[in-house]
Amino acid sequence: MLIRADNLAKHYPVTTGFFGNKVAATVRAVDGVSFTIERGETLALVGESGCGKSTTGRLLTRLVEPTAGTVRFDNIEMSELGREELRATRRRMQLVFQDAGSSFNPRMTVGALIAEPMHLAGAPAAACKARVQELLPLVGLSAEHAERYPHEFSGGQRQRIGIARALALRPDFVVCDEPVSALDVSVQAQVINLLTRLQREFGLTYLFISHDLRVVRHVADRVAVMYLGRIVEIADKATLYKSPQHPYTKALLSAVPAHRPGAVRTRTEVVGEVASARNVPSGCRYHPRCPYAMEICKTQDPELYDLGGSHRSACHLVNATH
Amino acid sequence: MSPPLLSVRNLTVAFDTRRGTFDAVREVSFDVKPGKTLGVVGESGSGKSVTAMALMQLLPDSATVTSGSVHFAGRDLGSLDEREMQKVRGREIAMVFQDPLSSLNPILTVGHQIMEPLRLQMGLAKAAARARAEELLALVRIPSPAAIMRSYPHELSGGMRQRVMIAIALSCGPKLLIADEPTTALDVTTQAQILELLRDLQERLHMSVLLITHDLGVVAEFADEVLVMYAGRIVERSPVAALFDRPGHPYTEGLLHSMPPLEDEDPEVLPAIEGNVASPFELPAGCAFHPRCPYVFDACSKVAPVLAEMSAGHDAACLRIKC
Repeated sequence: MLIRADNLAKHYPVTTGFFGNKVAATVRAVDGVSFTIERGETLALVGESGCGKSTTGRLLTRLVEPTAGTVRFDNIEMSELGREELRATRRRMQLVFQDAGSSFNPRMTVGALIAEPMHLAGAPAAACKARVQELLPLVGLSAEHAERYPHEFSGGQRQRIGIARALALRPDFVVCDEPVSALDVSVQAQVINLLTRLQREFGLTYLFISHDLRVVRHVADRVAVMYLGRIVEIADKATLYKSPQHPYTKALLSAVPAHRPGAVRTRTEVVGEVASARNVPSGCRYHPRCPYAMEICKTQDPELYDLGGSHRSACHLVNATH
Repeated sequence: MSPPLLSVRNLTVAFDTRRGTFDAVREVSFDVKPGKTLGVVGESGSGKSVTAMALMQLLPDSATVTSGSVHFAGRDLGSLDEREMQKVRGREIAMVFQDPLSSLNPILTVGHQIMEPLRLQMGLAKAAARARAEELLALVRIPSPAAIMRSYPHELSGGMRQRVMIAIALSCGPKLLIADEPTTALDVTTQAQILELLRDLQERLHMSVLLITHDLGVVAEFADEVLVMYAGRIVERSPVAALFDRPGHPYTEGLLHSMPPLEDEDPEVLPAIEGNVASPFELPAGCAFHPRCPYVFDACSKVAPVLAEMSAGHDAACLRIKC
């Protein structure tokens, strides 16, 4: 096991008052999330905007300090590390963002951008240069591209640059946060293929954050579905897509537009919209939208019940009928 | 067969930028039939949104229509002056955009913004406009319309805002609704709700819809006919079922194959379209898609293909189709 997250939570205070000194409410962006990721595996986090999937990725890499809970990375307890040790451990975890281009300094050449993490880690200039020349062909760019500037590249190529930069320090673990969402459809498949090839070649472990259930089905080994800061269902890919149990997972899957016209689809009804993480509903947080809500759902927060295998779902109804 | 509601012929739109001029839309011709949905699919820069803006005569100053004609309900829109065109916009052709927040005025209540076209375009008195506005909000399935009328755009969720935009678009009973990526900014469950709503309204109000999207799934669910655009040109035109069953253009085929399946067997490597979308400043000679095409042959870099018929109503612009 490479990663173990236990009861991770991130709460943000909402302040009011002239000096911003009164806490009016708490946004529970991530609210008690536990999972593991095996070495070489891809765990996908899916869910709609505001469900806490990106915050979870940032908590794992400690770009955001958790309010509660722990992260173990390769048997190292992250919260116990001192500054220097944390820096060294963090080099083994990298991020690929949705729009890599917007995070690049426009005045730096592509070579300098890819080498930057190595410079910061104290690598000598010659070694950095050699590594850049190694990385560019690896991500499908050519060695001459090192001298050019980011604006000369298309969105897909900029995403390749972002991937090269993430790989510069030979990480074990990469958080891919919506890595293809901003790309044109014809380019998405290229970047997905690149990510899966690199994973095979270097034995990388991925946390793949996405709202696109088609892409997730292609890349993931296991899938965790998040709703309002919680994991509501987690299973291996085949199980989750073939026999989803949580009503929210069913609704999500049935809302994906069809692959071809006239395809017969039974839509699971979802009523209303996602509640606010500022004002989390009592009991099961999905109950106000759930067509199967029972009395118990309004008062009791369901735990992730074990359904056999690695399949777990946080639903009272599923637990009662299982 | 009834005559088309909207008829566009040989539309070309040129843009003048600091980097030079280029044609964003090139010799585009199509019809929208009464009560039907025409889907326009393409990637960024394919010219699909510019085509819609040109129809509405809402192009930015840097763009000019260099050729072509637009006929709507028997009238030549090009011959109308700005005042007459203003009446067509909103009353006969309405638009819904991707991002409702940037189309709504943040300092006016939702009620004010729905009542405005009713009073200005339809000449309704205040009380009548208010009653009609509440009806419209109920029509787009907004719960408690009276309360929503008093709220400001930022107080609503993305899905609610898009419903308000649709209510405003429908306020004057348009014959044609242009929906430019209406669900792209929305979450998938909200997207399904909005598409469902649009389909229902179209049937009830017998509207035509021009649906612009990059998402083939949305097209599969909603369109009757489809145009596929690449680098400013229509490369394929087809009834929706035929497009998915027998794509004629290699670009369409590539798009369909590169979409990971949700139920069928998943390929180990996704069949991707290689290369990048052509830059409008350096369009390849011949067929603009030829540098990325898996079936390319000599003539493709020399001859620009025109739309050739594959079957009734199904054309593709590819040299592989023998006329």
